[in-house]
Amino acid sequence: MRVVVGIKWVPNTQAVRFDPETGTLIRRGVPSIVNPHDLPAVELSLRLRDEVGGEVIAIAMAPPPASKGLEFVLGMGVDRAILITDRVYAGADTLATSYVLARAIQKINAEIGDVDLVVFGQETIDSSTAHIPAQVASWLELPYIYYVKEATVVGNGRVRVVRELENYLEEYELELPAVLGVAIRALKPRPVSLSMKLRTKFEKRLITWTNNDLKLDPRCTGLKGSPTIVAKTIDMPEVPRRREVFKARDAREAAKWIVAKMLADEKTRELLYRSLWGGRG
Amino acid sequence: MGTTSKFDVVIVGAGPAGCSSAYLLARAGLRVLLVERGRSAGSKLLWGGKAYAQPIREVWPELDKEAPIHRWVTRERFSFVWGDRILTVEYKLGRSVAFTSYLPELVSWMARKAESAGALLVEDVRVDEIVVKDGRVVGVRSGDDVVRADVVIDAEGVNRMLLEKLGLAEKLDVNSGVALGVKETLSLDSKLIEERFNLDKGEGLSWLVAGDITRGLPGGGFIYTMRDSISIGLVIPIGPAAKAAEEGILKEHVSSLVESFRLHPYFNRLWREADVIEYGGRMTIEGGLSMMPRRLYAPGLLVVGDAAGFLVNTGYTIRGVDTAVYSGKLAAETVIEALSRGGFTEDNLKAYEDKVRRSYIYRELRNHSGVEDIMKDPFYFTKLPQVVVGAAGRLFEADYEEPTLIRSVVEASRDAGISLVRAFFKLARVVRRL
Repeated sequence: MRVVVGIKWVPNTQAVRFDPETGTLIRRGVPSIVNPHDLPAVELSLRLRDEVGGEVIAIAMAPPPASKGLEFVLGMGVDRAILITDRVYAGADTLATSYVLARAIQKINAEIGDVDLVVFGQETIDSSTAHIPAQVASWLELPYIYYVKEATVVGNGRVRVVRELENYLEEYELELPAVLGVAIRALKPRPVSLSMKLRTKFEKRLITWTNNDLKLDPRCTGLKGSPTIVAKTIDMPEVPRRREVFKARDAREAAKWIVAKMLADEKTRELLYRSLWGGRG
Repeated sequence: MGTTSKFDVVIVGAGPAGCSSAYLLARAGLRVLLVERGRSAGSKLLWGGKAYAQPIREVWPELDKEAPIHRWVTRERFSFVWGDRILTVEYKLGRSVAFTSYLPELVSWMARKAESAGALLVEDVRVDEIVVKDGRVVGVRSGDDVVRADVVIDAEGVNRMLLEKLGLAEKLDVNSGVALGVKETLSLDSKLIEERFNLDKGEGLSWLVAGDITRGLPGGGFIYTMRDSISIGLVIPIGPAAKAAEEGILKEHVSSLVESFRLHPYFNRLWREADVIEYGGRMTIEGGLSMMPRRLYAPGLLVVGDAAGFLVNTGYTIRGVDTAVYSGKLAAETVIEALSRGGFTEDNLKAYEDKVRRSYIYRELRNHSGVEDIMKDPFYFTKLPQVVVGAAGRLFEADYEEPTLIRSVVEASRDAGISLVRAFFKLARVVRRL
């Protein structure tokens, strides 16, 4: 079984801050990480491979520093990784990104071997659109299931997929090839292993594809191929906070303290009453 | 999985000590594996302060040209704070011997140097155990993977879980020998920094503060000027602080102590409009000989850096980065010499401990080990600042008549509730021990 898993190298949004003047993210000095949603997707891919054999290929369309993220998933046990990078891919929205990823998957299919399954994390922490898996499935004309919790191979080129919705589970038997979007807490990702990291250091398992390899029309990629316009960003003003720590053994005591604090502030009090009774306090 | 591979040297921990060993050994042509638990070399470090350049230049002569040096320290300040009275002493150095930097940046530079010298750096991987076979260290284990090595250098840092497992270090007792460092990074325009701290371009200041900013607990505050930010915080020995909290003497969380320090009217004007761009806490060793493991070597093993207890606290300066680098250098030299003398036998590795004992690291640790007693004695953190600041108050806050110096000290001692004789002996002890 050949599984392709998509990886995004994203700024750690827990550390990122917003420039209120330009309305953009301040990325300077913010460390990047593998999109946390992608890690359960990698885990699901590895488990399928461990179960029935084959290989897992990670792909990422990103500037060269993203190779760090691909090295991370190679350390988890991914067999090889392809960094798709080119200036003409820069500034892409989800449409242009999914187009490049879909064409790269077709190239894998043609040159490396049949792709049975394409797996993505459900969304990314820096944009949260959840477009990519659905759009890639559309380009490739493959069935797509989202919020996937688990997947097992049942034979005859089929997988059984369980997806978790708010208050029920759905089970599908899906013909391959297909695209899956994996839910964030679906599976606990395995840690990076020393031997896999060493394998990555000694063997060339990370390759780079540019547009010389994919030969896509630059009008369909990057900024030029991106119809999305950010019309307006609304800056939520930062509430000045005073850090306070309250220590209590009893949760009730802590709750009382919090409520007293909230009631002491006029604005908070009003919000609290409104949320509780829908009217003014 | 569960594979095995083999290196000449495996180094656990890519901090200043580990990177130094890795760099020198790789440059000598050995096959070196440097394993780091954090996302990248330096990512788990918090320290932002003053590092002494000369010992580091012994490993990296290109330090001044290439390293992420923020400012060269030309001002040393020390302040006693009690209430709204503050006594400050400043020394302007004739020659700068130390620079300010953030350790994550510095270590990331060192790791890159080690890698380009040929060391193999593996990040995101935790070493679970140092593997011993027939009485000698033969490698490390991480999960199911074992990597064999002729010699292992333990540079795991302050929390010595691997050494504890081996029985070479006592289980960490938070009540003695370790402190909590809490740091805030404040971003401030470099010109403003230079104006407000009276610095020329590129010059830096190192400032230690003692007194009621720790609410009388042992420990103190620090202020270091960086290129376009300031690193401030407190270092508080955990034992006495925990005891004070238990007894209800310390009512605040340590994070609010640091906030009070930042917002202290006297200091806050120096960074009024600065943003807090980062804050964090980390355990650190306090300094002195007590954290040194029983042995710094075993067959197939050397211990360097914080794991070896190499932090010098003189009471007026604290140095751990240069000692870590220097110990990494001594370990690398020992390994290279052992190779030419027939291997990593106990005798050949014992040379490392001898080198350490002959080096400035050990002399510094021994000469300043009296600080440990002072750190344990609440007098120096409650009474002493009161006496010093109180005496200064009497000298400088007189409307008509100023008391003599001795009289002001006598009166300040009386106000602080101690006898002059006791204060005298305690002060004599400071002079003797520091």
